[in-house]
Amino acid sequence: MIPRLFRVWRLRLRSLVRKDAVDTELHREFAFHFDELVAEHIEEGLSPEDARRAAHRALGNVAALEESCRDERRVTWVHDLRQDVVYGMRILRKHPGFTIVAAASLALGIGANAAVLGAFDALLLQGLPVAHADRLVAIQSVPLDNPSQLGGNSLADYAAFRDRGRAFDMIDVSIRWTNDFSAHGPGTTPERITGQLVTAGWLSTFGIEPLLGRVFTEAESRQSSVIVISHGLWQRRFGADPGILNTQVRVQGVARTIIGVMPADFRYQDPGIDYWMPLYVGPQPEAGARLFGVRARLKPGVSLAQAQADLDAIAAQLAAETPVPNKGWGVRVRPLNESLFGWTREPLLTLEAAVALVWLIGCANVAALLLSRASVRQREVALRVALGAGRGRIIRQLLTESVLLALCGGALGLVVALLGQRALLMMTTPPGSPPLAAIALNMRVVALLAVLTMCTGLACGLVPALRGADREPIRRAFPQGVLVSVQLALALVLLIGSGLLLNSLLRQVRRDFNFEPNGLVRVDFGVPVAQYAQRTGTYRGFPYFEIAPPPSETHERVLERLRAVPGAGSVAGISAPPVDSFVLATMDVRLEDSTTSSATYFLVTPNLFHTLRTPIVHGRDFTDADTSTSPWVAIVNETCARRFWPGEDPIGKRFTLDTVPEEQPREVVGVVRDIPTRHAEDPQPVIYASYRQQPSRYRAPWAGLFGQMLFMIRPAGDPVAIVPSVRSAIADLQPDRPLVNVTTMESHMRAAMGRFRSYVWLVSVFAMTATLLAAIGTYGVMAYTVSQRTREIGIRRVLGAGPREIIALVGRRALAFVIAGLVVGLASAFALTRLIESQLWGVTPTDPATFAGVSLLLVAVALAACVLPVRRALSVDPAACVSGCDGSPLGRQRE
Amino acid sequence: MPKPTDLLQGTLDLLILKTLSREPLHGWAIAKRMLELSDDVLTVQQGSLYPALHRLEQQGWIDAEWKDSKHGREAKFYALTREGRQQLERELTSWKRLSSAVGLLLKNA
Repeated sequence: MIPRLFRVWRLRLRSLVRKDAVDTELHREFAFHFDELVAEHIEEGLSPEDARRAAHRALGNVAALEESCRDERRVTWVHDLRQDVVYGMRILRKHPGFTIVAAASLALGIGANAAVLGAFDALLLQGLPVAHADRLVAIQSVPLDNPSQLGGNSLADYAAFRDRGRAFDMIDVSIRWTNDFSAHGPGTTPERITGQLVTAGWLSTFGIEPLLGRVFTEAESRQSSVIVISHGLWQRRFGADPGILNTQVRVQGVARTIIGVMPADFRYQDPGIDYWMPLYVGPQPEAGARLFGVRARLKPGVSLAQAQADLDAIAAQLAAETPVPNKGWGVRVRPLNESLFGWTREPLLTLEAAVALVWLIGCANVAALLLSRASVRQREVALRVALGAGRGRIIRQLLTESVLLALCGGALGLVVALLGQRALLMMTTPPGSPPLAAIALNMRVVALLAVLTMCTGLACGLVPALRGADREPIRRAFPQGVLVSVQLALALVLLIGSGLLLNSLLRQVRRDFNFEPNGLVRVDFGVPVAQYAQRTGTYRGFPYFEIAPPPSETHERVLERLRAVPGAGSVAGISAPPVDSFVLATMDVRLEDSTTSSATYFLVTPNLFHTLRTPIVHGRDFTDADTSTSPWVAIVNETCARRFWPGEDPIGKRFTLDTVPEEQPREVVGVVRDIPTRHAEDPQPVIYASYRQQPSRYRAPWAGLFGQMLFMIRPAGDPVAIVPSVRSAIADLQPDRPLVNVTTMESHMRAAMGRFRSYVWLVSVFAMTATLLAAIGTYGVMAYTVSQRTREIGIRRVLGAGPREIIALVGRRALAFVIAGLVVGLASAFALTRLIESQLWGVTPTDPATFAGVSLLLVAVALAACVLPVRRALSVDPAACVSGCDGSPLGRQRE
Repeated sequence: MPKPTDLLQGTLDLLILKTLSREPLHGWAIAKRMLELSDDVLTVQQGSLYPALHRLEQQGWIDAEWKDSKHGREAKFYALTREGRQQLERELTSWKRLSSAVGLLLKNA
């Protein structure tokens, strides 16, 4: 069997690559036969001449004989294919306009699909590009009554997982931490830098080696004497000094030795992490706040479900041993990349739906173009059929053409995919970023591209090829019409989706936040917790701190100093950004009738609302007379007033924050307009308290609240101009204290919208592309219809039809397609937009205005696409048509 | 010359294989030999013989080689391969089954 197959393949290969030699042999074989025939006839007594003639007669048509022998080689299809390809290329080159439009339609569809699916693959399907990625997990705590709210762990949780868990061979914990670095030599400045405190194994979990030096050991993690810095910090602050190791730096006043520098692509978990310092977690840490991130590596062979079961058991033990604070809390274990990138799933799926529609529209477009061309090429096809080409052969040839077209599209699509994927990864990478930017087009994407390309070629080419091979002339434009309707419908779905997203983006951008971010300079100032909070014990399971000296004294000095800056205008402070703060303090509140509720809590200085330009609707602002010894007061927002005291005058009402015994009842003295705490959320109850009226003792996790203050400055003049004097004012006050961050509130508001903005723009770009493709498709079919009816139009004109009748004649058909597309598109959009409801804010998924506006837009675009063909119909020269010329505008243009 | 008898479809392959089972032959000789062995009854047309030879070669049942013919001129000789011999056995079996069935039918009908 094997030798036979081998022989067969050798023969086929030889017929392919040495076609000439094989043909010569064939020739010789027949020559031999012929000569034998001649010899035989001579033996029978014929003259040589007669013998030759007789032999010719007996042998017949040698060329045909040879051809039928060649047919037995079974490789003729290869030669046919080569012929088809050469012919197809010639056709494509001859019609560059058609080729470019069609290839570009396909390139957009194919490339965009490959880009989105590639990003999906990189972010969600593949593991992280690190060692043992499939075994890395994130462990998070979750309130049992709200399973979707995954959060951090306490150190006690971590110690329990570490000491009792059996599913992991590595388990580490980290927390984001911001510290002040002192000047470390002449010419350097003190700086406030964000890094992480991590346990000893954390830096080696990924199997990524430090660029210089080493990471810290278990033993070193018990001392506060070492630090590992990021590549970025090494470059920026230490001038990429190769001798950086063993340099001393002072962090929060404590001397530490730099023992390692991590490589540039080591930037997991959080953006802007510039150093790692050891965190030691002993056998029995205090419960503390759930602020820590736990990451673990599963033991080989342990499944996620087993790990979950293991952790569930530990959580149950903890809840039984120490009900406060463990009762009511569970643990969730998720693959690490899921916890880092899970949020991208929904937007990526939406994008994928969008680009899939673009692809379909592109295919429909190309199919319509090919169909129109097939009809123009009727004569050519008829000629080929007359010359003996079979139906199958013609179909094959037309399919070859469309596959060639798809290959052009695929090649262009590769470029689109590369650019698109880069853009997508850039968009999705910031928070929690493994070195994804390094991922080029992966093989899966390339394979996908190839498959998509071939499918596209076959899908686009099949109908036109079948119709083209029919000898009957194509009279009705029905399938093209259907293709146009389908395109318009798909484009409409996409346009409505992006319209809704755009609408909700615009609503967020234009939203009245009841304060004026423009012209506000923001100065982040923090007093380190260590300087004012001394641990005194435990209260309700949380660490308890003595707050002394109160940071408000420092803040007061800063406030005074800032007020003295020339041109400072209005100055005030608030403990966190009023909108889109990274962390929001939420407090339980006890009302006078002892009902409880909760509200977001800010510490503010007098004059804040005036500085923000937030109207105080009732009552008064805080004043300098509100001190720690005067009665404690509060200002609430309108939502809070409405929710806590419905139908009553909130002024004079009292409530108590349910935090520590030292908390005193506060009396509401003012009500301000709602400042929504999130861009895309309705206003929540907010309580503002004076920064001076705070208890002298506090519990975690909110003890850090007191140190932070964002000073808001609304200068009379240019906000940028005042920045240098603000910097020097703070430097005067505290020479060793870095000035954290001087930014504008405007940039803060913009940054918060950044990712959503680029996502919405991307969807919109796809929708525009789809619309453009649909318009091209509409144009193509209308132009074709007009070309088909040129003679009819000419005759009608001769018979006295005016422009109006001609427009009606051509337009009726166009209108039918457009209306059909509109109806189908609206119905599909109505059913589908529910899927993106969670991404919308301020508009319903069936927002009538969006539906109506977008439909009008699409109708306008479709009609605009008809203008040129209709004008061509009107310019038909009746004389030329009647006299018999084909006069097809499409044909003229193409040939 | 008697009128050539049309060969039953598929029979030609069997006859060629059988003819080649004794010794390698070129196309001309195969046609001669078949005529000779069938007492001048079976004339095979060149138009059928050569495509059949090429088909059998492509299928690997026979092998071709250029060798000197009896008057010193090079000709393409076809020879049965080992698999070709097995194929001949198979075709013979099915031919015998077919012809006995046909004989049976003609006798009994």
